[in-house]
Amino acid sequence: MANFRRFRPDDLNKLSKCNLDPFTETYDLGFYLQYYAKWPSLFQVAEDQHGNIIGYIMGKLESSPDVYRFSEHYLPWHAHITAVTVAPEARRLGIGKLLTEQLEVAADANGAWFVDLFVRVSNHKAIAFYKSMGYSVFRVVKDYYGEHSTDPTLSSEDAYDMRKPMKRDVKRQHVRDDGEKHEVDPSVVW
Amino acid sequence: MAPYRYGPPALKSSVDVQLQTAFSDGNWHTVIRLATKRASTLKDPYYEAIKVCAESQLDGTAEKCGALVAIDELVKNKKTPDLDTIELYEWACRDFFDYDVEYADTLGPLRARWAKANPSSPLAMQCLQACLERWDLVSAQQIATSLDKAHANTADRRYMFWNIILTYLLSISPQCTDASRKVYSLLAVRQLERAADLTENSEKLEPTDRGLLTEEEVCLYYRVLRSHGTKEDFISRVKSPKLGAIGQLKEGKKLLLCETLDTLETWGEWDLIYQLCREALSLGLDGGTTPFLVCDLQIWRKFAAAASKVADSESALGEVQTILNKYIEIKDTASAMYKKNLSLALLEATFRLPAAALNPNRDKTGLSPRVVQIGLFLDQYFERLSAFDDVKGYVAELGFDEIKTLMEDVLPKMLGEDVDKARKAVLNALESRLRYLLTTCPQTLSPQPSVVDGETQDKPFQCRLCDNPASIPCESCLKKILLDASKAYKEIRGDKELVDSIPRLDKDPRLDLALVMGTSLLKLSGLRPRTTDVIRPLWQTVDAGLFLQAVLLLDAQLKETPGDTELRLLLVQLYLLLGCASYAYQLWTPLDVKRTIQDALSPLFFDRISSLSPGLFHGTRPLMEPLRSFYSHNLGDRSPVRIWDAFSAGSYTSILDIVRYDGNLRRSCTVMMTLVEERRATRCYGGKIDVEIEEHFLTENIDDNTTLVNNTDYGPFPNLESTHGPPVHEYLRLGPGLSNERSHLAFLSEQYLDLLLYKPPKDYRPSKQTEVALRDREYTLETLSRLSNSLTDFLHQPTTPSRLTVAETTYYTVLSLLAAALLIALSTPRSDPVPKTLSLLTGSIKSAIASLRTDFFSLPSSPSTAASKMTPDKTTTITRKGGRLPGVSPSLTEMPTFAALRDAALAVRHSAAFVVAAHDRELARDRSGRSGVHRDVLAEMRALDAAAGKVLGEAKGHVQRLKEVLSEGGWLDRILELAFGGAENEEEGGREDEVARTVEEVIGGRGAAEEWAGRVVESWREGVKGWGMVKME
Ligand SMILES: CC(C)(COP(=O)(O)OP(=O)(O)OC[C@H]1O[C@@H](n2cnc3c(N)ncnc32)[C@H](O)[C@@H]1OP(=O)(O)O)[C@@H](O)C(=O)NCCC(=O)NCCS
Repeated sequence: MANFRRFRPDDLNKLSKCNLDPFTETYDLGFYLQYYAKWPSLFQVAEDQHGNIIGYIMGKLESSPDVYRFSEHYLPWHAHITAVTVAPEARRLGIGKLLTEQLEVAADANGAWFVDLFVRVSNHKAIAFYKSMGYSVFRVVKDYYGEHSTDPTLSSEDAYDMRKPMKRDVKRQHVRDDGEKHEVDPSVVW
Repeated sequence: MAPYRYGPPALKSSVDVQLQTAFSDGNWHTVIRLATKRASTLKDPYYEAIKVCAESQLDGTAEKCGALVAIDELVKNKKTPDLDTIELYEWACRDFFDYDVEYADTLGPLRARWAKANPSSPLAMQCLQACLERWDLVSAQQIATSLDKAHANTADRRYMFWNIILTYLLSISPQCTDASRKVYSLLAVRQLERAADLTENSEKLEPTDRGLLTEEEVCLYYRVLRSHGTKEDFISRVKSPKLGAIGQLKEGKKLLLCETLDTLETWGEWDLIYQLCREALSLGLDGGTTPFLVCDLQIWRKFAAAASKVADSESALGEVQTILNKYIEIKDTASAMYKKNLSLALLEATFRLPAAALNPNRDKTGLSPRVVQIGLFLDQYFERLSAFDDVKGYVAELGFDEIKTLMEDVLPKMLGEDVDKARKAVLNALESRLRYLLTTCPQTLSPQPSVVDGETQDKPFQCRLCDNPASIPCESCLKKILLDASKAYKEIRGDKELVDSIPRLDKDPRLDLALVMGTSLLKLSGLRPRTTDVIRPLWQTVDAGLFLQAVLLLDAQLKETPGDTELRLLLVQLYLLLGCASYAYQLWTPLDVKRTIQDALSPLFFDRISSLSPGLFHGTRPLMEPLRSFYSHNLGDRSPVRIWDAFSAGSYTSILDIVRYDGNLRRSCTVMMTLVEERRATRCYGGKIDVEIEEHFLTENIDDNTTLVNNTDYGPFPNLESTHGPPVHEYLRLGPGLSNERSHLAFLSEQYLDLLLYKPPKDYRPSKQTEVALRDREYTLETLSRLSNSLTDFLHQPTTPSRLTVAETTYYTVLSLLAAALLIALSTPRSDPVPKTLSLLTGSIKSAIASLRTDFFSLPSSPSTAASKMTPDKTTTITRKGGRLPGVSPSLTEMPTFAALRDAALAVRHSAAFVVAAHDRELARDRSGRSGVHRDVLAEMRALDAAAGKVLGEAKGHVQRLKEVLSEGGWLDRILELAFGGAENEEEGGREDEVARTVEEVIGGRGAAEEWAGRVVESWREGVKGWGMVKME
């Protein structure tokens, strides 16, 4: 049922199974192509037998801009998961996990300290998904999202910044046990 | 985009403060004064450039072009200005590029010259970037060559590969002259071959060596080799231990293997495919790679397919089985996904075995290994949402006995003693889908002699499943499937415990059942793909009752499961067919098709929308604005989006793929659809069209030779059909999908209308009137001749008829005839006899319009219903008589034909007016009247005009009548009667309509149906209101 391979731009015409699902955001062309241009091997897809994309992950490798080097919020070299999504019909088969693991392999190969991501605090499914793979909350970013996904009366929603340490972080310096208690303002997040 | 395109560049720091300030404040007069002074005292041409650029900011045309003139001079004189001057000029001319001035003729060469003179400067790379962002490949390639020379054997390998990839890109670009194409092709291949040899022959490659090192470099090599090299070279390299597909795989790099297998498949190189798949899969078992790295379905499929095609296929297929079994032994260590892939691979392998090897007595026993494998697969996966899709193709391949065994033996026994209600319900829903699937498979039917016992048979087949006489599909099977599904549906609904357990399931089984019921009803109603040979209007081709029941039932299900996109899309299409565009739009909006996915998905709603319901364009926000802005945002520049990012990151395959994607997007039929639908709607309401379609930047590189591509994604439709027949979306569309042919015809027609409707600016008073008049006339005749030829060519392509509806064919035919007629009308001198062709053309135009008119206005007032359409057949007839749609209302589903009629008639009127206006203009210019239009031609045109005017009058009257009929009372009853039959009909017929009754029960009774009927009528009314505002003259 599935093939795993690198993304290619034609896949953008085959995203409907993932992107018509309300939990998956559709971005501008430039956004997808930026990832494909800069980090092609971190943009992986799963496709079904008809060529429909049933899952994908988009990621990048970076550190905070140099000017923040001495800020307490400076992020050293790490991989970031920008988006991961699996079509409803293909969930709970381990596709999300496989895609994430591929990215982690690349992160290790590139000497990243950790992999991180942002997730809505109300997205329990995704949080359970990340936790099952060893990610933990590093900090809570207040009002990170412009609107609330489930409650239309609220004008914003917090994000968990979740992390998983990579091989390089032998001493687990870049994770913490009580991340839920560390709240930060979105302005310190890059 | 580079920042210098917007703000003015910073002046050199050596420039004095006064001038700097004036420049940054935009005090152009001061800048001109100061720069002129400095230029004469300092003798530095830089100040001259500042002056020219400041002048170009002033209003006069001559000043504006000053910078261009200066650039031209520099280019011609082979001078190399400094970079600051170049930047200044580039900024000053920023508005000219892409439209009036080619970068490749102006700043590109200057930048290339500068980079050649300063190849080691870090700024040379900026020149490369600038040329790439203007997509000037010629200059970019020259710069890359200079950079490569200057940086040979540095650790930054990008210089070498920029040079190669740009040489390659140039060789496949229209920017390359035919004379140089070959040279560049060879150059790209040779350089890569040399690099590949170096890699093969070196023990270890250093980053400073000019070999192939990274995955991107290696894949670039193969891509170029594939396009410009020989197949033999490709094949021999792909087998090599180091750079070959397997060698790369051993290093964990999978991309090359995937790309190679695709290439080899197009070449039919099955031996090598077999070999590579075997080696690749064995590596996973031997620890050569991570175990499941290549365990993709794709690879297994290719492996099995190749094994069945190689010389000794029996032992090859044996080998497939052996390797597969080894994987199955270790599958417990794999993730669920790979386990499933392996199960599917097993199915695939079984189905690729030659029939003889499988089971020599297959005809006698249906329990073949193929059925066993399907059973085993379903045993594990029937509860998964994708189970049906996974096995569908295999089930459709089974022989009839196998089918019987699967459906009658294997499936019913699957649950054994298990009494879990939810699991039972899920299996039941799957079975229902499979039964539907089988009605679309020809092996369930056997041909029937046309005469039996002296009686002619009206059904060509006998159904092997139910033994009844059948056509395709078997109606009695469909009816049975429908009734069984409804029974299952009602059982679930009535069982609270079961309903409560649904959220824990992968999918609500009621949804599957509803889809089966809905599509069965559609098939029973007689709905078929609307191709050119189905020329009759909807209500004449379908049984109205069954069709409406289908819509109603699916609509009711959407209320239960509003989040299901498949169902929602299906309904969007059905409502469009039904002429309820505004309601379809309400259903469409929550799908939130936006940004990038619009190109592929928006045709599912917007194609033909202006002809169905122009009123939709009258909303508060421009209907197609998001699409338009998507294109202007991403295609506004000539260079592909994010291309520099890919260059800068050294992502060579990304560069190639982004370029290809960009080309496809520029040639997308959806782009043309967007332009054309908006223009048609604008004209409906007498709005102003800003720019001629040919001048629009989105059509810049489109001519008759451009193949426009259909990117529509039909993936999100539920599809219960087998591949033996058309997919479901073909049943649901208003007509054939987007195509190259239709897009070109639309494009040409719009150009024709642009010509007719062109109005010179009000204050335009040319001085040399005669000269201008001659030039205009020449231009008009040339354009008419070109359009007439092109329209005729596209209409006559053998594929065209299947790409258009009948009404579209007629409309485009009328336009091609008009263009030809006008060419004669305007080129025949008054003194010559009028060629006979003209009256032939106008005759054809009249009869084409007459046929459209007849098609539309002679619609019967009562749609066919079960009783009137179906042949009386005791077993299959669905017994119900229906109500009727009064007066002109059946035409509500045929508004695209109406639109074609209106558009054709209007085009005639505009054409006639164009000829008359040309005549009047000539008369005003040359009082002698000698240069005017021929008298007979004028008469012919006036006659055409009168005929068209009459049609438009009728059209106006028709809309009025639609309005009146829809404002009558009793519509809800009418629609319900049409859907379910009136009470008196039931009594009168004596037999009750089982299907109608069942549907009514499923949807929750008449009350629910009434609410639905209200929505249908309301949407019709809204559509007609929109038509009421459309200009008919
Ligand atoms: C989150 C998401 C990507 C998970 O993808 P998936 O392929 O279904 O996940 P996997 O099958 O790989 O799950 C791996 C593990 O994660 C956990 N998990 C996944 N989905 C879960 C759920 N809905 N509830 C609880 N745990 C879950 C489980 O532990 C699971 O292992 P198991 O199935 O063996 O129990 C998918 O649900 C999705 O696309 N959601 C919508 C988009 C989204 O929210 N993306 C994340 C934005 S940051």
